[in-house]
Amino acid sequence: MASSGQKFHLGFLSVVELPSAGYVGGLLVTNQLGRPLEFQCTTPVRPNRTQEILYGPTLRPFLLADLIGKTLFERLTVKPTAILVGDADFLALRPHLTAPVAVVCDKESSQTSMKLGQQWLRFHDEHVDADRAAMKEAGSIIVADCDLREPIDRIREALEETLKAGAAA
Amino acid sequence: MSQEPGENGATDGTSAVTEVGVSSVPVAVATPDILISGMNSALRRLPTPEPSAAKLLDSVGYVPSWKPFWPKVRTFGLTFPAGMEFLPPKEEKPAPADLVAIAPKQKKEVPEGEAPKKPTRIKPPADALSLEDRLFYVLQPPLESWLRGQELIMPFEPFQYQYEGIAWLFAQKCALLADEMGLGKTMQTITALRLLLRSGQVRRVLMVCPKPLIPNWQREFKTWAEEIPVTTIEGDGPRRNMIWRMPGSFVLLANYELVVRDFQQMMLENRGGTLGGKADIVGDVDGLGRRRQVSIGGDENPGPPLPKFDLVVLDEAQRIKNREGLTATIIREIPRRRSLCLTGTPIENRPEEMVSLFEFMGVVPPNANPDIRQLSSLSREYILRRTKDLVMKDMPPRLDRDEYIELGPAQRIAYDQAEKDGIMHLNEMGEQINIQNVFELVLRLKQISNYDPLTQESAKLERLCADMEEISASGGKAILFSQWTKTIDWIAERTKDYGRLVYHGGVPAKQREPILDKFKNDPKSHLLLMSYGTGAVGLNLQFAGYVFLFDRWWNPAVEDQAINRAHRIGCKSQVIVSKFICTDTIEERIDKVLNEKREMFRRVLGEGDNENAQLSMNAGEIFGLFDLKARNKAGGAKKIGPKVA
Repeated sequence: MASSGQKFHLGFLSVVELPSAGYVGGLLVTNQLGRPLEFQCTTPVRPNRTQEILYGPTLRPFLLADLIGKTLFERLTVKPTAILVGDADFLALRPHLTAPVAVVCDKESSQTSMKLGQQWLRFHDEHVDADRAAMKEAGSIIVADCDLREPIDRIREALEETLKAGAAA
Repeated sequence: MSQEPGENGATDGTSAVTEVGVSSVPVAVATPDILISGMNSALRRLPTPEPSAAKLLDSVGYVPSWKPFWPKVRTFGLTFPAGMEFLPPKEEKPAPADLVAIAPKQKKEVPEGEAPKKPTRIKPPADALSLEDRLFYVLQPPLESWLRGQELIMPFEPFQYQYEGIAWLFAQKCALLADEMGLGKTMQTITALRLLLRSGQVRRVLMVCPKPLIPNWQREFKTWAEEIPVTTIEGDGPRRNMIWRMPGSFVLLANYELVVRDFQQMMLENRGGTLGGKADIVGDVDGLGRRRQVSIGGDENPGPPLPKFDLVVLDEAQRIKNREGLTATIIREIPRRRSLCLTGTPIENRPEEMVSLFEFMGVVPPNANPDIRQLSSLSREYILRRTKDLVMKDMPPRLDRDEYIELGPAQRIAYDQAEKDGIMHLNEMGEQINIQNVFELVLRLKQISNYDPLTQESAKLERLCADMEEISASGGKAILFSQWTKTIDWIAERTKDYGRLVYHGGVPAKQREPILDKFKNDPKSHLLLMSYGTGAVGLNLQFAGYVFLFDRWWNPAVEDQAINRAHRIGCKSQVIVSKFICTDTIEERIDKVLNEKREMFRRVLGEGDNENAQLSMNAGEIFGLFDLKARNKAGGAKKIGPKVA
């Protein structure tokens, strides 16, 4: 993933949505080489009917960012330098943190996007300049052929394992 | 009749009315006003207002509202060994002054930190039941990115099936890697070991192998894992004892005989008692901590504990195939957490041998006798075997391997003596020396490297037999080349078990074709012995999957020609070529010179056909194999060799 010798911890945040059980989130912290350092995941979070109605379209961003993302980040003992997500609804997490939060996109989506590895990063509208500056260091550490989506796939697999373990219990 | 006075008081009683005349008289009736207060204006009595206080509303009534309430989000976490170093230090609260600590503070051991086509994901082993164990494997990066030069330098990129083998070995607590010979069991084992060490899963490893393979493992470690310090168990008893117990060594390398002898001694010291049968030395629990069914009494004051290992690897694991034998018994006693067996023999055809290996691996309880069905089930889970034809698409058509072999003790003595005498003789010849003299010495030393004429000891033959055991068990066929017919005949005497056939200049012409036919068609013929000089046109041996170069020819092009009898560019079958080179001998020096020449020609001429290139050694190079000096008239020494043109 990157050249060794320089330390830069990345957090990858993802969620699995289950029709019956709700949302299960996972946050994986890796070193600059993609090796795992810490993993945190939630138990299923399921909104009830009232909450679905009253939150309306804001429900998903609220669940992902305020509830799941924020809780997972607070639980971490190895804090990442930045958080990368696959879902744009996670961007609402940014105001709660000091670390940059960026969505991993396959192509350039706006003029403020930044290339990192094989993908492009999109930042929260209100924190673009600060986050781009913070991620500049990552640009020199992460190699050009690094696949930033791969750790997100790992999280999904890990969440499936936790759900299986939960169902078996 | 009297009349009551009417309302007006008048009375008229004079007339009796018999008919009443009716007539309407308009009567004005006044409608009383109803006042707005509801009072009837006709009432004459005035109401008496009575004041009363009306309760005013001072608070607004409300309907119970909905507040956003979310139950607390519960989490589950896992910190990897590599992440331990980044944990923030715990703040220790100062103890109250009136309390005195009654036990020393225990320091938490922080493990050493950092201590990275289709990606190969590491799958959790089937018996990993705890979620933490399963997540540990699932969250590792794909093997390709882990090995791709960022964190671990690999001299060559592994083939796809090797990636799969490495990932499998990494995840297994016990495993038997039974890939066919030549597919890289050593490389896969060493690379898996690197990953296990890096991820903090193992700290101390014991590699056990047959004695002739010790140099091979040393070289392979240098090639594939140069950062791992490897300590070979050798020397006298006290030295070996010190090495066994030395802390901090990552990988210990030992041969079977040494391991059995030393552990037997250590077990005696541990339990007390004298050297007797195995029943006197085995304990109540085996190396994996499993309790035996039969309790064997032990000393109440045990001696120093046995050295413990996180992983024990057995190369040529069929050495412990005899379950009741001393070797298998002692090896099973080695304290360990993980067990790995390597063998090229298709072990699944030998149920009784499998049980012994499975017991070492810990998948079969001590003294258990699983039936065929159970063994099949265990095989599917714990054995990984790939054959050449299955992985051919991943491999190049021809794979060359240099097999470095250490001379046996008697060979070494004979070789050193011959070299010393030969060089002395050449030095004495001084200016009289010619290329032929040096050539004769080289040939003599090469012959001793093949086998010692006096004791008949041959390290190369031992290796050949070990390899042929695997090849013949798999049904494969091999061709062996040597430059001497005498050597071929000598080998033929000692390889009858493999259905060997001999084909060289000394074989009558009429017999040659039937020999080749038999080699091709007879399933019991696994080995064909040929000389380099037998270059019959049209010889086609493409069904042989293995080629051994027992001793090397001067010209690599001639070697290639020989090899091409078994393999041609574009042919479908795959050939593994093993070149035997004895370490610390003339063979190694010749090999070095030839490789340098080959490399130089390749750089200059490219990868084309180099058959016509002068790749053989010239006179200067042959002289250069020995540091030859002659005394000059002044009494000093000067280098002797051919004059440069």
